[in-house]
Amino acid sequence: MKSGLTSDSFEKFAAIAGSIMNPSVQKCKDGGGKVLGYTCSFVPEELFIAAGMLPVRIRGTGCLSADRANDYFTPENSCSLIRHTFNNVLTGAYNFLDGAVIGGGCDGNRHILDNWEKSPAKIAFLDRLFIPHASNELTAEFFLGQLSGLKSRIEGYFGVTITDEKVWSAIRLCNEVRALQRELYALRLGANPPITGSETVAVIVAGSSMPKEEYRDDLKKLIGELQEVHVPEKKYSARIMIVGPGHDDTSMSDIVEELGGLVVNDLTCFGGKVIFGSVKEDGSDPLKALADYQVLTRPLCPKNLNAHPVIIKELIDKIKEFKVDGVIGQIFLCCETWGGEIFILNKELRDAGIPLLRIEREYHADSSGQLRTRVQAFIETISGGAL
Amino acid sequence: MIDVFSQLKLQAGKSLGTLCLDPQNASPGPFVLGNGDFFIEIPVAYGCSYSDLTLTGANGTAMPEASELIDKAIETGVESRMCTALKVACYYLEAGLVRKPDLIITSSSCCDAMDTLGNLLNGYKPWADVPKFRMDAPHSFDEASYRYMGKQLRDAVTFMEDVVGRKMEWARLREVCVLSNKQDQLLLEFQELKKAVPCPANPDFSRLGFAYDRWTGERVSPQITDWLEQLVSATEERVKAGLGIEGVHEKVRFLWQDLAGSWPPGLLWGRLQQELGAIAIMDYMSYGTLTPIDLSSEEAMFTSFGKRFLLEDPMNRQALHTTDLFCNDILQIVNDFKCDAVIMPAHIGHRDTNSRLKVVRDMCREKGIPCMVLGIDIWDKRYMSPETAFDRIKTFFETTGLI
Repeated sequence: MKSGLTSDSFEKFAAIAGSIMNPSVQKCKDGGGKVLGYTCSFVPEELFIAAGMLPVRIRGTGCLSADRANDYFTPENSCSLIRHTFNNVLTGAYNFLDGAVIGGGCDGNRHILDNWEKSPAKIAFLDRLFIPHASNELTAEFFLGQLSGLKSRIEGYFGVTITDEKVWSAIRLCNEVRALQRELYALRLGANPPITGSETVAVIVAGSSMPKEEYRDDLKKLIGELQEVHVPEKKYSARIMIVGPGHDDTSMSDIVEELGGLVVNDLTCFGGKVIFGSVKEDGSDPLKALADYQVLTRPLCPKNLNAHPVIIKELIDKIKEFKVDGVIGQIFLCCETWGGEIFILNKELRDAGIPLLRIEREYHADSSGQLRTRVQAFIETISGGAL
Repeated sequence: MIDVFSQLKLQAGKSLGTLCLDPQNASPGPFVLGNGDFFIEIPVAYGCSYSDLTLTGANGTAMPEASELIDKAIETGVESRMCTALKVACYYLEAGLVRKPDLIITSSSCCDAMDTLGNLLNGYKPWADVPKFRMDAPHSFDEASYRYMGKQLRDAVTFMEDVVGRKMEWARLREVCVLSNKQDQLLLEFQELKKAVPCPANPDFSRLGFAYDRWTGERVSPQITDWLEQLVSATEERVKAGLGIEGVHEKVRFLWQDLAGSWPPGLLWGRLQQELGAIAIMDYMSYGTLTPIDLSSEEAMFTSFGKRFLLEDPMNRQALHTTDLFCNDILQIVNDFKCDAVIMPAHIGHRDTNSRLKVVRDMCREKGIPCMVLGIDIWDKRYMSPETAFDRIKTFFETTGLI
């Protein structure tokens, strides 16, 4: 839903979030630049930037039917997000990639790589990065080895040198971007924010498909505009937080906001998890800083056996800070990882007196009348009356 | 007079039957609970009981009241399409039916659902005071990964020692590993004998032996060694005599590339053998690739454990590893065991297998190996009954000219 926001920067972000190829990527390609795709928020973009490449996160955006991917992933029991994402690969939407690194966080992600390698869409550089499932020093050390191996393979294949200084520079840049994104999120702390949840999703998603410097500059400009804009008074019936897996389109936020609610925060693989914390900038080894960040600082994927206490703390903190009235726990069909986590959260939030609506849905939410009805009933319940 | 194979089946079945009825694990000693495989040599040597809640859930689906149990599990509200065995395990936990453990050791393991169970165990509020240890199983298969996994297993031992307040007797662990190596060798010998045509003994003894050896109260005991020696000896005699399975006229040998599930074997595999002469010569739990535990040093021993965990444990091998290895194993089995066909049960809960079906089908087509995909729930016969599965397999064999 739109807040009435008029801004060139925002329009640019919205267009990029709503498509796979965009003018920024095209410009990079036209200038001879390399574009490296990736899945999973635990794949560190910093490494690609340090290699002089443009990182682009692979998404399901625009895919209305996963017909082609269904040949590879049986639709009855394979994650809906994975199928729609891989369908975009199969239809050639990502043909512009010079390579891709698949983060093996969950089963579905792992098999994107295996199937991509066997499909007609195969590209020459397809690599995997194991995403750790525990959070301790030993695991961080092991992940450091994995990152080091990936760095060597990128250097070897593309003939580039990734120096420590380049990685530190990329870390600083990405930290700056994350800080700006948190600043953007903070704009929804108030009762009458200048940007909606849907618009925020679009801005964050766009950040995974643009050169980081360009994104940083546009984001700074947008935040400046939003801080100055006069926002007409608008009363929202409920302040909602969304938690769950990849939230790479605005359909769920759209439903909430079209029904009078406002999505004020999220903890999803394209949102709150991505902007969480910062990589330390003061160590001697930048790869170690990246490994520590992913393993020790933000174990926010429920595939990680240490994740739950961190997830619940982050959730409760944000619920208090953003004055959240209710939480929507959304799971894509067949996502066991988040299915289990929402199951645990449901009990804990209930004990804490926080309403949670658990939704298990297909990747595309916008066409579902049933879903709208459930969200509407939830908003009515927590807002204390019919809308 | 009862033959040796029937005796062996009865002996192992009795022990496994007890296991099925024991979701609370009433064994004496410190009780370690986990969400999946843990090195049985470690708890056996340490003198504690270990229960794998996934296995408990799977066993629940074999009980007479399985349907009711599965329905209750669905009602818990955990992810609706999760593997039924895992859903039942979640139900056991949520319903308060699992004995409170002294320690919880979880690992990220062969699938997302097992990790979810691990998270439920770690987040189970009534057991908030139970000490917990978590292990990260990487999806990589090299010496560094084996050492990493081994080190975590070594740390798990330290954790047990700290919580229980008693040291591991390393000489005892070595002794258990020697016995374990011997038993694994015997299982592999039986596997070799299954290559004979006709197959000399019911191939399901591989699976039975594995379960008896790994999961029961007698695990890694001299009793198991004796059982396996009798199995190998009796099978060798039949190979020398050129005999096949008693009462079976072998016509088709096929690979069942999944778990057997909780259907009583007689309902499907038994009927296929008896009525069609079709033998499930191998399934993926039976396929043994175990290498001996290296006993040259403590570090080597734990690195061996790490390798077993990541590469050689049957389920981890088939689920964690790459599609290339999965396919290579299929080809290897088809060649070595002279399979006429591959049946992909495509258990609804096995996301990994179901993400590989096209690749497997394409490979089989290219190699000229008849391949069929069933699409069943191996833990819930209401999804597809054994009778329906039988009819479909029979039709497949008929249309491919195998019978």
